[in-house]
Amino acid sequence: MRYKALQALIGATLAFSCLLQFAAGQDLTTEKCNTLLSELQPKSDALWRTIPWRTSLLEAQKAAAEENKPIFIWAMDGHPLGCT
Amino acid sequence: MLDRESTFALPGTVKLLQKDFIPVALDQAYQRRQKDTEGEFYRKIASQGPRSDFQNTTQGFYVADATGKLYFYNNNRDPKKVQRLIRESLKEFVDSPPGQISVLQAETRDKRWNVEPPKGGLVVRVRARVIDGYKETTNQWKKIFQNSVSRDNLWITKEEHEALVAGTFPTKLQQRIARFHLVDNTRGEPPMWGFTDIRKLKIELKDNGEIQGQVSLRTVKGAERGYEAELKGKLEVTGGKVAKLEIVCLGKFWGEGRYTGGAPKGKFPLAITFTLADGTDLADRIPPQGSRGWIDGYLQ
Repeated sequence: MRYKALQALIGATLAFSCLLQFAAGQDLTTEKCNTLLSELQPKSDALWRTIPWRTSLLEAQKAAAEENKPIFIWAMDGHPLGCT
Repeated sequence: MLDRESTFALPGTVKLLQKDFIPVALDQAYQRRQKDTEGEFYRKIASQGPRSDFQNTTQGFYVADATGKLYFYNNNRDPKKVQRLIRESLKEFVDSPPGQISVLQAETRDKRWNVEPPKGGLVVRVRARVIDGYKETTNQWKKIFQNSVSRDNLWITKEEHEALVAGTFPTKLQQRIARFHLVDNTRGEPPMWGFTDIRKLKIELKDNGEIQGQVSLRTVKGAERGYEAELKGKLEVTGGKVAKLEIVCLGKFWGEGRYTGGAPKGKFPLAITFTLADGTDLADRIPPQGSRGWIDGYLQ
């Protein structure tokens, strides 16, 4: 009888522990949302963002001709200002 | 990500590009295929370098003048080497400037590769980050990937915008979010999801503007990948238009793609946020990665 009660207690404890773990992993609170929205912002002071990038090669060609400057092309697989 | 945190993190390089160059950032998958004036100009430049097979990637750094003459090509990621090559190409340009230059007119414009956000629709900034699960590393390149926040754009059509204003979250929009934006693109170009990979998808917009949802994605064929997550957010409407849209998606991701190697082992937490774009960021103009050359498929 004692053994069965102990088994039941262990089982219940394990189940509760699993439930807590599940809740901790899945609980997307408003506070957590706000933290993630803030953390996933790009750094506004990142140096690469201070470069005056264009996204049109024709606009760059026009500017290069008018300002007598060479064109620097950052050409990637996937857009470099996005996911590359 | 690597270049942003390495090549373009050197103050000397940034200063050079700000002052002495016209810098342009491109997804070369567009320009090397475009059957128009811009594509022809890009291929003229790239064909002088080692990557002149336009069936394959032409990725790298190029310096050219407005006539299309190439001064240097490099795909090296040593920031100091790239800076040295940029300086050398500038000297060559200054010592021997181009002669007569005519400004190119966009006589032709390849519709397939020149897409605009849907009129009356919305552009939403999508960012992702792996929250945990990486092994500690001293490798500087791995560190950059492990801390990177990706960026893509979600396009919402006029009809979907109107549906959101009316209080419903359209099924097509739910599917677009799941297939093209619930991806781990923090280490490079990710594989997208097929319709059959969607095992469970429910995103609800409640009367008070709260958004709640659950998603379960898992590959049917090919490499094993999956994402099981919860979504939560807020939508506000002002004057018949969506004025605020914020969604956070958090869950367990597993697997990696051909160009996104180096993922943490097993299941790892991946967070993805969606916020309404206001047009102030240059990247707001970039078409969604999942729409590349296939805008109808993306919006279907």
